[in-house]
Amino acid sequence: MSADDQPLRPEGAPKGIYGPDGKPQFFGEPGVDRMMAVIMNLASELWVTREAQLHDEVDRDAAAKEFIDRIFEPLREAEK
Amino acid sequence: MTLELQHEMKAQPTAEQTARGRFVSGIRGFILNDLAADLGKVYKDRAAPKFKGEHGDAPKTSADAHKALRGDPMFNIYSAMRVQAQKMVWSSVAGGVARDAEKMEQLAQANTDTGGNLKLNADLEIPRNVSAIDVHLMPGSYVGDGQSMAPGATYDRGLAIFSMGLMGANLDDIGLSMARYIKHRFPDFSPSDILDTGCTVGHNSLPWKQVYPDAKLTAIDVAAPGLRYGAARAKLQGVEADFVQMAADDLDFPDNSFDVVFSSMFLHELPKKVRAKAISEAHRVLRPGGLMLHMELPPNGQMEAFEAFYLDWDSFYNNEPYYKGFRDEDPQAICASGGFADGSYFQFVVPSVGIYGEDALIEAATSDAAHSVGAETTGRLAEGVMWFGFGAWKQ
Repeated sequence: MSADDQPLRPEGAPKGIYGPDGKPQFFGEPGVDRMMAVIMNLASELWVTREAQLHDEVDRDAAAKEFIDRIFEPLREAEK
Repeated sequence: MTLELQHEMKAQPTAEQTARGRFVSGIRGFILNDLAADLGKVYKDRAAPKFKGEHGDAPKTSADAHKALRGDPMFNIYSAMRVQAQKMVWSSVAGGVARDAEKMEQLAQANTDTGGNLKLNADLEIPRNVSAIDVHLMPGSYVGDGQSMAPGATYDRGLAIFSMGLMGANLDDIGLSMARYIKHRFPDFSPSDILDTGCTVGHNSLPWKQVYPDAKLTAIDVAAPGLRYGAARAKLQGVEADFVQMAADDLDFPDNSFDVVFSSMFLHELPKKVRAKAISEAHRVLRPGGLMLHMELPPNGQMEAFEAFYLDWDSFYNNEPYYKGFRDEDPQAICASGGFADGSYFQFVVPSVGIYGEDALIEAATSDAAHSVGAETTGRLAEGVMWFGFGAWKQ
């Protein structure tokens, strides 16, 4: 592999922070990283359908915040 | 907060795309405020003590803090979500950009004068730090297919979602805060020619013209899509500026031709040698008495370990490989290596003018009180933003 083909990485990057696909890996089981993405995509799509049902006068930013806080709250509770 | 761009070049999202963008801004707010607070607590209560137990000393550097946090469940959740949210920033705007591509091309053709306010250089070799990676995880980086303006439009609209409303309605809060700080701090300084390097779509270039309306403004970048988009974006906002395809480390301008050489969030995207050359070039093209000014992330040497790594996270996980290397450098030494005298160096932390208001900015600019680089919100997109800047005068 020539220097021009080497992936650009920060100097001093600890070993093992990227998976075999070259992407960041955080969980010991790489499937968990992918599942996290799936969960967020699902929540986003659910919000899209929810927003479409809101009345015009509803503050959409506030409603989105309430939705996100409620859906993802367990991630915070786990650390409290 | 969902931000609606205030110019005609923007991609016009459908209701569904708007909702998707709102979710992404919201989830980023959750990650960068709520989960980040949890991460800080976990670092203090669990990760740092564990590190000390294993190494005999508390974490002292960004690298130590990274080592302490790697593998912690909270770090894993925070990081995996932040990476995915970043990908969703770009995917949430892609549909609107694709749908409005033809409209934007027509607007660009009607509002740019090739060879006039837009000068492209098809022979310019795009450097690897731009072409070989998807910078900020943006598919296609700043260049895309080299033809379409889509990367410029994607960056503009994506940045509105990414910034959660914290960069202002025209995404110009950094440029505006910096230019106004200089105006108030150095009221006798009156530049005639201003150069913004690494301008992308010129969102932080245009405020200089707002603050110094009589000056001639030139904005350069190596990537043509952002320049084509930015030139039309400026024209449609009634701002006169030249957009030129050029590398900051190889300026095709005569010696002594500018009074200000500026950049925002740019130096950290350059390899070290290129960055040093860009500083030398800035010194060369500045007139005596001219100002080089860079808005950047604050240096690691002025921050505690956790705060330093919190910003360095992007280097490892957001496709910004030179970010940490830049922040490990001493900005004063960077300026000195480019030919600027030590005594001409200055640095500051300025409150976001959009969030804190003009009075707070004036107070920061006119007082000699020390500003806290290590403040929790310096360089962060959080509930309050403090921007770090440094520069030097050419003698």
